[in-house]
Amino acid sequence: MDQNDDIKRLLAAISINADQVAYKELFVLLHSRLKQFAYSILRSKEEAEELVSDIFIRIWEKRSQLTSIESPLLYFYTTAKNLAINRLNKQKRQLPHSPEGWQVQLQSIHFDPEQLLLTEEIMQKIRQAINDLPPRCRLIFKLIKEDGLKYKEVAELLELSAKTIEAQMAIALRRLGKCMQLEINQLNPKMAIPKK
Amino acid sequence: MSQEKFWVLFSKKVAAEASNDEIFELEKLIQEHPEWQLAVQNLGDLWHHQPQPVDSLEAEDAYILHLNRINELKIPFGDYKNETPVYSLRHYKKWYWAAAVLLIVCAGLITLLQLNKGEKNNTPVSYVNEVSTRPGSKSKIQLPDGSMVWLNAGSKLTYTKDFGKKNREVVLTGEAFFDVTKNPEKPFLIQTNSINIKVLGTAFNVKAYPEDKQTETSLIRGNIEVTIKNRPNDKIFLSPSEKLVVENIVAIENNKKIKVQNSTSRPTIKENFSIAPLVPKLSINKLKYSPVDSTVAETQWINNRLVFRDESFTELAIRLERWYDVTIEINDAALEEARLNGIFQSETIVQALEALKISVPFSYDQKGNNITIYR
Repeated sequence: MDQNDDIKRLLAAISINADQVAYKELFVLLHSRLKQFAYSILRSKEEAEELVSDIFIRIWEKRSQLTSIESPLLYFYTTAKNLAINRLNKQKRQLPHSPEGWQVQLQSIHFDPEQLLLTEEIMQKIRQAINDLPPRCRLIFKLIKEDGLKYKEVAELLELSAKTIEAQMAIALRRLGKCMQLEINQLNPKMAIPKK
Repeated sequence: MSQEKFWVLFSKKVAAEASNDEIFELEKLIQEHPEWQLAVQNLGDLWHHQPQPVDSLEAEDAYILHLNRINELKIPFGDYKNETPVYSLRHYKKWYWAAAVLLIVCAGLITLLQLNKGEKNNTPVSYVNEVSTRPGSKSKIQLPDGSMVWLNAGSKLTYTKDFGKKNREVVLTGEAFFDVTKNPEKPFLIQTNSINIKVLGTAFNVKAYPEDKQTETSLIRGNIEVTIKNRPNDKIFLSPSEKLVVENIVAIENNKKIKVQNSTSRPTIKENFSIAPLVPKLSINKLKYSPVDSTVAETQWINNRLVFRDESFTELAIRLERWYDVTIEINDAALEEARLNGIFQSETIVQALEALKISVPFSYDQKGNNITIYR
């Protein structure tokens, strides 16, 4: 799901027509993820909220240059990262500046097992497995699965190699697969029975 | 070795990062290990599963605070109109014309190309992807083009393997709510038993159970174009908040049969032979928005609510059958016609029946999944 095209369209409207409707649409589209991302670095909801607002103030002030952004989603996340680290520096707060220490929460672990045809037991295991992922691995998994960034974009954002992203994603999915495969061997005959 | 390779390839595939070669390699690996098949399927589903539609309320509240902040920081925001002088539009006008001409030429070329293509490959379309729901369960699907489809109980959606590449075509049996992503070049086409729907980008509900009396299309936003199977030349355009009701051919034919069987004067008439082409009845109604929460009854099933407004017991019974995976028989003509209103959310079938008994007194027997209703 490449959302960069959607974002580019909105940015173009803001840049060329100073379109306030597009501006609001873009804000609503990105607010929640950017806030979560900023929160994982800043660990403060108020500051994360303010940071998202700062990003969008920049967007408005620099709107004439917006059309030249190649990869807008990466631009937003990089801006969020830089602003967050600036804040940490200014406040001299003792919080980790590197991705290993960022505390990211995944949203999609609130699955609806009914729709996925999985038992609640398996879902519980999956939630646990996601929570148990090493922080950097969890961050990469979230940015790709929930936030819609590409491997290349995450590599650039976190200053890692593309191969590292590949490996971290493989680790994440292997762990998820493990909690299913074990279940599959035990519960295979039952899977066919409709759940009520 | 193959295990590690497998997980790298598989995660690239679900994240839409894999090249064709890598997908090929992965498929080979899966063929060698059929025992991975189910985990692969489940993990794929898990990856593409969106927990719930993102709640934009919080973001909209945040936007109000953001505007406040812009104001406090005295950043020029509202006065942008001064920067773009009025005559600029006139200035660009000739470019609009150029763009329009170019667009028409392009559209013409594309149509020509597609016509050529259409003549060359008349091979029948192969529907490979099929998503279906059992009675009593629902599902939410994201199509390759990003469109979302909510599938109600006892329904089926099929689409071609190359969905989104050349076209966007699906076949629907049953009920579904579509939120279609915009792509003017590739209209989204839905085929049901009795109607075809063509959309550009919009949200709407289609109820097309073949066994039902009628097919209903409720448009929430955008525009759609509906053609009826037996009248391909008539196009019906729906506007937002309108609902199109088309009587199903099957239902009409059944009615005819009944009439024929009842008339003793002409016992030899062929039942399946129709003299004139059947013209289904249709009507366009306004959707009724709830004054309380401005929702529409037609789409409430997505939120797990069975909402019925002024429906006959017969109609409701069919919906209850699908919702609860039961069969219901009503043994009383007056009860069949009784009109009912209400909402079920977390009720069991027994609780639902007990609640209905309050507005229309009746008794019922339940044997397993079979329910008989009588006075």
